[in-house]
Amino acid sequence: MDFESYWAAVDDELAVVPARAVLESVAERSTAESVSYTVRLTSSGPYRVFGHLSIPSGPGPFPALLMTPRYGSVNHVPHPNDRSRYVVFGVMHRGQRLADESFAAAYPGLLTLGIDEPASYIYRGIVADCLRAAEFLFGLAEVDPARVAVSGDDLALLTAARRPGFGAVRLSELLFYRAMEARLRSSLYPLEELNDHLRAGAVEEQVLKTLSFFDPVRHASAVSAPTLVAADDADWFAPLIEALPASEVYQVTHLDGTDNDALDAWLADRFGVPPMSRFVRP
Amino acid sequence: MRDPENAVVEVELPADFDEFWAAGLAECATYPLDPVLTELPALSTDKVIVYDLRYTSYGGLRIAGWYTVPRGLPAPYPALVTIPGYISEPTVPKEWSELGYAALAVAPRGKLRSNDVFNPGYPGLLTHNIVDHHTYGYRGFYLDVVRAVDVLLDRPEVDAERIGLQGSSQGGGLGLSTAALRPDVIACVAAGAPYLCGIMTAPTLTRSYPYEEINEYLRAHPKDADRVRETVAYYDGLNFAPRVQAPTLLYLGLEDDVCPPETGFAVHRALRCEKQLHTFPHCAHHAGLPDVMRIVEDFLADHLKPGR
Repeated sequence: MDFESYWAAVDDELAVVPARAVLESVAERSTAESVSYTVRLTSSGPYRVFGHLSIPSGPGPFPALLMTPRYGSVNHVPHPNDRSRYVVFGVMHRGQRLADESFAAAYPGLLTLGIDEPASYIYRGIVADCLRAAEFLFGLAEVDPARVAVSGDDLALLTAARRPGFGAVRLSELLFYRAMEARLRSSLYPLEELNDHLRAGAVEEQVLKTLSFFDPVRHASAVSAPTLVAADDADWFAPLIEALPASEVYQVTHLDGTDNDALDAWLADRFGVPPMSRFVRP
Repeated sequence: MRDPENAVVEVELPADFDEFWAAGLAECATYPLDPVLTELPALSTDKVIVYDLRYTSYGGLRIAGWYTVPRGLPAPYPALVTIPGYISEPTVPKEWSELGYAALAVAPRGKLRSNDVFNPGYPGLLTHNIVDHHTYGYRGFYLDVVRAVDVLLDRPEVDAERIGLQGSSQGGGLGLSTAALRPDVIACVAAGAPYLCGIMTAPTLTRSYPYEEINEYLRAHPKDADRVRETVAYYDGLNFAPRVQAPTLLYLGLEDDVCPPETGFAVHRALRCEKQLHTFPHCAHHAGLPDVMRIVEDFLADHLKPGR
């Protein structure tokens, strides 16, 4: 199966599965600034996934922010700073907490689950979950469709590549990018999962083949939105940066207060909302 | 402007604080530890042997962990308990065994591999039964880490005189509580950006999770504020800190929105043991990562002497 048909099949599967969204308000999380909801959606499979949604108070439409899930069992509820400025949707993919009724992801283990065959790789469904989340967000009446951003790791990039319309993409801490090279740099997880899998007898060519469908560089040319790549080693990320049609690089300082503020300000500036630091400065 | 170093962060010490925790430890002791180690060749390397670990803790719950030992180095080894953050799952601590430690990465109750019985979820753990210190969700969670130390004491390849604790955020906070509850055993503690310190003050200084869970709880249950305050005082790192006897390394980000630096400085003031403090301007909850890990590794090596 080639690259395009692999992903077209994912789109086809989603197209025939209604999302059947159910929203429930969360009183304790709702304030004068925003109203919060839990959301359950059907993704491919079919599989019910979960998300935290919030909508700012006041007359819309509002800029919007899709937060793709990190690698791990838990994603925090979107920060009040973001909830006050954007329609925010933070999605939990299949297997993560709150989306684990029929499948609980293992850590370590998720990164290599089904990786020996592209069609069975768990991330095929996880990307579908993110695409479904994007469709849901774009469908909300409160959202200004000209100001929708996606933020996260490779999943954010793949989502922007597969769903047109995003006005900004913010990338950090990529997982799949040059993963088969990066796995050799240390014994730290999650990339150590690849080493564990290969030690257990997996065929490297098969793993490489599967990962090639998720290679951010292969998806990059389809991302038309301005894209900020947070990178601590510009040389390492050069192939991706060159492949993105409208990329900017934020040089990560590892002063994470500074980095957090800079990433926040980049998106705020694009969408005409005030920048906000999570570190409260009276 | 905030002045974290000089901010006043106070927590009332419950009159029965020591008795409360002594009772918890005593109840733990009524359950046989019953550790079961299963070697995992698929996760092991030419440098490290990896085991799945299960043991019994408070309330009789079976708790999971990853246990790793150096391959090819002579025992006994110094040992570390590595303690996970609030939303993190413990990772297999191969990197520590590559440095010569036996390492136990504990998954306290509620973490994925230890949640058959207790599973408050995230968000949820911080406020689970927060109106009752006897049944507060963190009670067993804290004791699960203490029991992990007992597992190390049970291991013949571990030098019982060289057991340390390492973690950041929740791992830092529970490093302090564990050292306080086992002052006879713990040789040193490296605690980054400690969480669960100044628990009632922190939500007034930040809107970030997990402390925001307390703000949400009090929004829904405003009449419970006094009971919440009473409960968390039993779990507050500021009350454990004076009981820590092991040399302790603290490191803080001075723009930490998750665990406000005011609370970290307060912990440092409350510690009466040999202590080091490293602060990192313009850093948030990473508190100096990745560079700070060199300081952590040197501190642990000075006290635990891997490869000796």
